Amino acid sequence: MLRMPEPDQHTLARRKDIIAAMKDVIPSPGGVIVDEDQLRPYECDGLMAYRQLPMIVVLPENTGQVAAILKYCHTHKIRVVPRGAGTGLSGGALPMADAITISMMKFNRVLDIDWDNRAAVVQPGVTNLGITRAVEHKGFYYAPDPSSQIACSIGGNIAENSGGVHSLKYGLTTNNVLGVEMVTIEGEILRVGGKGLDQTGYDLLGIITGSEGLLGIVTEVTVRILRKPETARALLLGFNSSEEGGKCVAAIIAAGIIPGGLEMMDAPAIKATEDFVHAGYPLDVEALLLVELDGPQVEVDYLIERVGNIAKDFGAVYSRISETEEERLLFWSGRKNAFPAIGRISPDYMCMDGTIPRVRLAEVLAGMQVLSQRHGLGVANVFHAGDGNLHPLIMFDANKPGDLERAEAFGGDILKLCVEVGGVLSGEHGIGVEKRDLMGEMFTADDMKHQERIKMAFDEDQLLNPGKVFPTLHGCGELKTLHAKAVADKFPTIPRF
Amino acid sequence: MVDVLSPTTPDQLRDAVGWALGSKTPLEVIGSGSKRAFGHAVLADTVLDCSKLSGILFYEPEELVISARVGTPLAEIKAALAEKNQQFHFEPGNFPALLGDDVVPDAGTIGGLVATNMAGSRRIKVGAARDHLLGFEAVSGRAEDFKSGGRVMKNVTGFDLSKLMSGSFGTLGVMHTVNLKVMPCDEQSASILVTCDDPKVANTIMTAAMGSENEVSAAAWISSADVRLLDIPVASEFGGGLVALRVEGPKPSVSWRSEALCTALGQYGETYELAGSYSQRLWQFVADVKPFVCASDKPNMLWRVSVPPASGGAVAERLMDVTGGRVMMDWAGGLIWLQITGSDAMAQQVRDIAGASDGQAVLVRAPAKMREGIAVFHPENPALGRINAKLRQNFDPEGILNPGRLSPPSAIGEGA
Repeated sequence: MLRMPEPDQHTLARRKDIIAAMKDVIPSPGGVIVDEDQLRPYECDGLMAYRQLPMIVVLPENTGQVAAILKYCHTHKIRVVPRGAGTGLSGGALPMADAITISMMKFNRVLDIDWDNRAAVVQPGVTNLGITRAVEHKGFYYAPDPSSQIACSIGGNIAENSGGVHSLKYGLTTNNVLGVEMVTIEGEILRVGGKGLDQTGYDLLGIITGSEGLLGIVTEVTVRILRKPETARALLLGFNSSEEGGKCVAAIIAAGIIPGGLEMMDAPAIKATEDFVHAGYPLDVEALLLVELDGPQVEVDYLIERVGNIAKDFGAVYSRISETEEERLLFWSGRKNAFPAIGRISPDYMCMDGTIPRVRLAEVLAGMQVLSQRHGLGVANVFHAGDGNLHPLIMFDANKPGDLERAEAFGGDILKLCVEVGGVLSGEHGIGVEKRDLMGEMFTADDMKHQERIKMAFDEDQLLNPGKVFPTLHGCGELKTLHAKAVADKFPTIPRF
Repeated sequence: MVDVLSPTTPDQLRDAVGWALGSKTPLEVIGSGSKRAFGHAVLADTVLDCSKLSGILFYEPEELVISARVGTPLAEIKAALAEKNQQFHFEPGNFPALLGDDVVPDAGTIGGLVATNMAGSRRIKVGAARDHLLGFEAVSGRAEDFKSGGRVMKNVTGFDLSKLMSGSFGTLGVMHTVNLKVMPCDEQSASILVTCDDPKVANTIMTAAMGSENEVSAAAWISSADVRLLDIPVASEFGGGLVALRVEGPKPSVSWRSEALCTALGQYGETYELAGSYSQRLWQFVADVKPFVCASDKPNMLWRVSVPPASGGAVAERLMDVTGGRVMMDWAGGLIWLQITGSDAMAQQVRDIAGASDGQAVLVRAPAKMREGIAVFHPENPALGRINAKLRQNFDPEGILNPGRLSPPSAIGEGA
């Protein structure tokens, strides 16, 4: 079972004082939540297997309030859990009994659209899709599109470095964010990056993006917006094995084509989604590829024919090209509803998120079948085939004693397999608490200590989102100690000139 | 005498740093040394030469990934990529040629490229080296091995140290292995030229092009004085400055977009479509900053001013007015190369003008004496400077890696 840092009794004893101090900072009604029934909705995020009631929840309305809250927490050594829309799948916003959960959802305004610099300045609580909605009337959009985009906030996207189905061509959040305003645990307001492309000093923007709320609280975000491609068309390609599907993906890329979207589903996922949304998916194939080409009409028509030909050469037994926008969206509706489709056929499911070198796909899927039998649980796979990001959906029943534990063990084994073949624990969902204790599969103790040394530069007292990302929290003193492996001054093996 | 350590394996690298740590010996970390004159002179008598940590470890074109030891010559890597019709999408130019004389094309090592976070004209669309570094392995100033990232395209496992290491000039750790994302070369590339002498109008043209549906992958402005250096027949016929816009992709798409751009931009000046090798030559010219390559003994200074792209024209004009220098714009106005001839780098004026437009200015080339007195890199905001200093302290507590490289001697200890 997941171990979280022990609640600090001293903090719990001061709860009343803390509430009073928070109400001083946020005088508007509803800004400080203290009653159990109102705290309940905050007890978990998208990773619902883990729940914990926060000590209190605060909803600041401006950067000044965030700074005052953090300064207070820093002075009084109170832990803080930042929270966006609460859609995260790795438990990054899991509350703590002795921590203030800071919800950023009142930061919901689009501040400025700078068309000439192709940048949007927004508050962190604006949803991912909200940015696109704010700019689409002039033909622009925000490219990263996690499947929760209707609900997830851009602040949360920064914390998790969210991806989406178009990331091979358009990049992840980190490649599309230009700058942030962030408040440190000391209550200092930093501006990092901006509309220009270079920053001074180290690339702090790059390290803040994907830091899962461990370094500070982002209060403003500047993102790059792009012109929407003139058109998009999709192909559905069916194969007799996932290996053939994988080879076709490799061949498309080897031909120099980088599709906007390149998704794969295995037979259980195809069946579940087809039963659910009736997208017209073939049920007699073992792997289904969804390839989307976007750009000017002339380019899309040209490339779709090339991809169709490659697929033919690589053994596609089914091929269908979207002829209308409605049909394209229908193709996508299956893929985009894969998670709820699995939810229909299984009481519960757990969504994993490893990334692997694509060439190892067949091997990993076969290994997963072995694990499925060993753990006695079913699994369906959806796969961002272009970038190797795998989402195995483990089916279980939380009401059955031991099922959740078996699902977790199965999930852990899948991620270990991903790392074994040269992949990673998480492609886009983050580590949070979910994969925290697996970090050692990928990183040595020294690797993790170097990550923690970044944490130390921002939050020496480890007050921001403790218990997340790192399996063991090292004290700052320990991280600062030099284990000087002073090598003797003679080392004959190194050539000297 | 300068002592040179040349480790040939990652273990030897760790031992070398361990020795330096134990004996508190500062190290100047270099690859081929091609960008040694960029930044401040390192305060060290011992050189840690990484050029023997060399070789491509694997290159999988279908997986879009290459892994190499840091000392691998860039030329070797580019040749391997070219063989499979692939490239680094961030298209680094021949930066070392701006710093020294008789520099061959593709000078430098892959490690140096990452450590200085280089990027060419396509940065406006696809980013810099930092956006393409998938993972690395290194030895920190604590003489400990550490790694981050991996070899896959999509990875959010732990903090993204690849970003931190890109552009850190070897002051946090010494990388020995880097994994980079590569991309296919486009089927075709063409350039649209629009005659334009005025940097502000040029900026307007570039902004219009970038905001169009035509997926412009590079946008630059070359002044009339520099166009004559461009060895392309039609360019000299124009007899003035020009805006160059590049479109890349499948053939039919490139033709269609080129035509669309010509139609849309005709109102600003005469337009011309440049294809094939002439187009490539033009972008090589821009990436290499050819007009401002000059003999290193000449008393002239080269600044790299980075501002929000749509301010580029106004900033360029102001810089020319105040310094009397020459400029070339890249990144749709986001990058201004400014060459000033004379004995005064006018550092404060240049910095003030850049700063007033939310930008920054880096002194790329100046006589050694001048670089001692002027901060080469744009001064950091003090709050960020404090965090950077802590990072530096946490990764290299004894300050043995490239001390002084990022700040002039007078400012040591004030920032990273």
